[in-house]
Amino acid sequence: MSDRTPDRVALLALPALVYMVIVFAIPVMVLIGRSFFGPSGLSVTPYIDFLSDGFNWRVIFNTLRTAALTTLVCLVIGYPTALALSWSKGFVQAIMLVAIILPLSVGVIVKAFAWQIVLRRDGIVASLLMATGVWDEPKLLLFTETGLVLGAANIFLPFMILPIYSVLKLIDPSLQHAAATLGAPPVYRFFRLSLPLAASGIISGCSIVFSLATSMYVIPSLLIGDRYQTLPTLTARAFLLMRNERLGSTTATILLFLTIAIVMLTAWLVRRREVQT
Amino acid sequence: MQNSVLEVAGAEKAFGSTTVLSGVDLAVENGEFISLLGPSGCGKTTLLRIVAGLLSADRGTVKLSGADITGLPTHMRGVGVVFQNYALFPHLTVAQNVAFGLKAQQISAGDIRATVAKYLDLVQLTSMADRPIRGLSGGQQQRVAVARALAVSPKLLLLDEPFSALDRKLRELMQIELKRILREVGITTVLVTHDQEEALVMSDRIAVMNKGAIEQFAAPGLIYQKPASRFVLDFVGHSTRIAGTTAKTTDGLLAIETAFGTLHAQSGYIPGSPVTVAIRPERISMSMAQETPPSVNVLSARLTDIIFQGSKYHLLFENQGDSHLLVEAGRIPEGMAVGANVHLHWSLEDTLVFPGAQE
Amino acid sequence: MTATERIWTFVTCLVATLVVVFLATPLVVTILTSFGSSSLFTLPPPSWSVRWYQRLTSVRGLGSTLLVSVEIAALSTFSSIVIGGLASIALVRGRFPGRTAIGTFLTSPLMLPGLVIGIALLQAFRFAGLRDVWTSLLLAHMIVTLPYAVRTIYSSLLLFDFTLVEAARTLGCSPMQAYIRVLIPALAPAFITSGIFAFLASMDNYAVSIFFTDAWTKTLPIMMLNLAEEQPDPTIAAISSLLIGLVLIFLIICDRAIGLRRIVDQH
Ligand SMILES: Nc1ncnc2c1ncn2[C@@H]1O[C@H](COP(=O)(O)OP(=O)(O)O)[C@@H](O)[C@H]1O
Ligand SMILES: [Mg+2]
Repeated sequence: MSDRTPDRVALLALPALVYMVIVFAIPVMVLIGRSFFGPSGLSVTPYIDFLSDGFNWRVIFNTLRTAALTTLVCLVIGYPTALALSWSKGFVQAIMLVAIILPLSVGVIVKAFAWQIVLRRDGIVASLLMATGVWDEPKLLLFTETGLVLGAANIFLPFMILPIYSVLKLIDPSLQHAAATLGAPPVYRFFRLSLPLAASGIISGCSIVFSLATSMYVIPSLLIGDRYQTLPTLTARAFLLMRNERLGSTTATILLFLTIAIVMLTAWLVRRREVQT
Repeated sequence: MQNSVLEVAGAEKAFGSTTVLSGVDLAVENGEFISLLGPSGCGKTTLLRIVAGLLSADRGTVKLSGADITGLPTHMRGVGVVFQNYALFPHLTVAQNVAFGLKAQQISAGDIRATVAKYLDLVQLTSMADRPIRGLSGGQQQRVAVARALAVSPKLLLLDEPFSALDRKLRELMQIELKRILREVGITTVLVTHDQEEALVMSDRIAVMNKGAIEQFAAPGLIYQKPASRFVLDFVGHSTRIAGTTAKTTDGLLAIETAFGTLHAQSGYIPGSPVTVAIRPERISMSMAQETPPSVNVLSARLTDIIFQGSKYHLLFENQGDSHLLVEAGRIPEGMAVGANVHLHWSLEDTLVFPGAQE
Repeated sequence: MTATERIWTFVTCLVATLVVVFLATPLVVTILTSFGSSSLFTLPPPSWSVRWYQRLTSVRGLGSTLLVSVEIAALSTFSSIVIGGLASIALVRGRFPGRTAIGTFLTSPLMLPGLVIGIALLQAFRFAGLRDVWTSLLLAHMIVTLPYAVRTIYSSLLLFDFTLVEAARTLGCSPMQAYIRVLIPALAPAFITSGIFAFLASMDNYAVSIFFTDAWTKTLPIMMLNLAEEQPDPTIAAISSLLIGLVLIFLIICDRAIGLRRIVDQH
């Protein structure tokens, strides 16, 4: 009867679990497994082939570099925003929340396409820089790395703001006052109090943005084009254009391991912080 | 007993390796209000949930009005429950909460409305009918919960610590109010509580529970004056306790040697066993040392402290510096002050003896 | 107000304004472009018009593509809420080992690159002999939508007081009736919001869909991607603006259901 239901209740997880195992876990495992199978059984030849090509190193480097730059821009803009969000109240806060949630809920293609327009030679950014005198003549930002990072940072910014905000809003504001009464100047308070307290939010924000930026596909396709290959664009090309599934499986697996490594690194960092504090 | 509404026999329950109920027997008469009184964690809620069918016992039977309902699912039992946190449905209004159980039955909309109105009137919440649950005070929530449980006309009503969420003043008010409501309906009721005053005030009989077993099931007066065990003595009310050793019995009077001299009691014990003599503090009389009191049990002690408690006084006595004896009095006898030597005396009936030395 | 407080207030407002402008830029640009008369994306447009919206009717295959997208999104969302809701009940109420691991597993597609999932499914479906585009899309999109359902319903169930279900049973409801009459209404906001976010995630998905579409059956994002590559003109901006409008409506519903702040907490 009812006290035994908790055990029978476990059966309710079965449909979802079975579905996810068959349609998700097994295919992903097979993908990983197959990338280690050459024509003559188990081997790492595909990886050796892949990594012995300088172009491919370039691709990996591009991927990580763009992701790192995007994360950095997001952090630099996102942290003050999260702070402002936690200080603000009422109407201002509501406006900010809408400004974060609305773009977050709009599809990536819509936003990436908009950035194609923004980054044109006659786009908003160029006009703005001309008007302020930073540029003397209009330049094309589209198809440059700067344009890519700017667009990606804009699209992923909410994923940086929200985790930091969720930590900041839990911090007791009286801590700031207490530190001030103890004679700590603002800069000292920032580095010794605000930043360490927000660290777990910063870590998870960076982790989310970094892995999103590592695996983004539409944004580089629309904002920088084929010249600049990253792991995801190369993966898609391998399958959709080159019909080279071996290459595609290899890059996909590298991408997968990269993402898993980020997740595990983050978990490790967070756990280490919890042990320390 | 043919008249029993509820009969629990040999109920046992264990969660994993922890035994929570070890053979509980309980019979509640028609229209009776009984309390399950015991410390937190003694298994009261578990017993209640077994009666309601929300939990099944490992062993034992539950009968309702003579019919065995041990295997019957909750919704077919006709047992109403007022939960500890009231468990009101937050998405419904007060009236919709009361109507909830009626809607599960085949009852016409008009009858439902009439019944809801009747029970809202009974708990004096008619004006709140269309309010959402969220804004209600604790007392109002409790009354909604009671009305909701009563509206389906259960044969038995179970209340699980219904006053624990209320502050003290409100709790005392609601105890009287609930008693009025339940008397009006005339329903057999089992109240679970860890508050002895609540149990003493509200119940026709009290079942004192300890570690998954009922130690005594009797009327409140009897529980207080003749506690069946050391546990009941300790759990219900205060007591003054003196350690002693039994000596021989003469003329039906048991002599007990204590640090305060020889005391007497009624019951029979083998000479030489360690016992505890206990007296309810308000049953002890005091007189100044010069007079000789008439009681069989007299001891003299020095008054060390007087604690004013509003309606009464607690007086602390000491003898040879070791034991503190507590006496409760409505007023301080004339001429008695701290440091005075006083005779404490009490009757044979008020002398309670329990096996085992004082802890 | 002290001088420092005034400075902080100023800084807060400044940061807030700048970031709101920055975040709103792509959406505003899209909407302005869609109402411009020029096909050259000039901003501000030389004059206003609705010609790009009128042109939508003549975009070949837009109607059927939209239908496929909505069908797939609605069906995968609905099935995800059903099996994800059941799984959430098991995870919250069950007493079995590995519950946390199962929860992480069911939401893990959120953390993995969509392309990788798409490729894995492409190979698996091919191995299983599944050729039908529509079915493949549906099966694949459920992997996208299920994590949203599990995440939201699970966190709402954690807050749900299960004595309410017991109360319903003491009032004469069978266990099934009790769940239907108490649990479902109490969780309605969670169903609505998780449903909306799952639906949007499916509607926007390209990373998984891109491997399953063909010339005849495609989803809206894939079509937009094709249009953006082949003939970029404000038609895409018009489609985008309509999608933004849809998101706006959905967010208003979510706000009514659980409030803006809890939507933020969900993310
Ligand atoms: N579902 C359960 N699983 C394990 N232990 C339980 C469960 N329910 C109650 N217990 C244990 O049983 C004991 C009695 O609980 P309960 O009947 O709620 O006590 P009371 O209501 O008298 O405070 C407690 O020690 C409690 O921890
Ligand atoms: Mg209890």
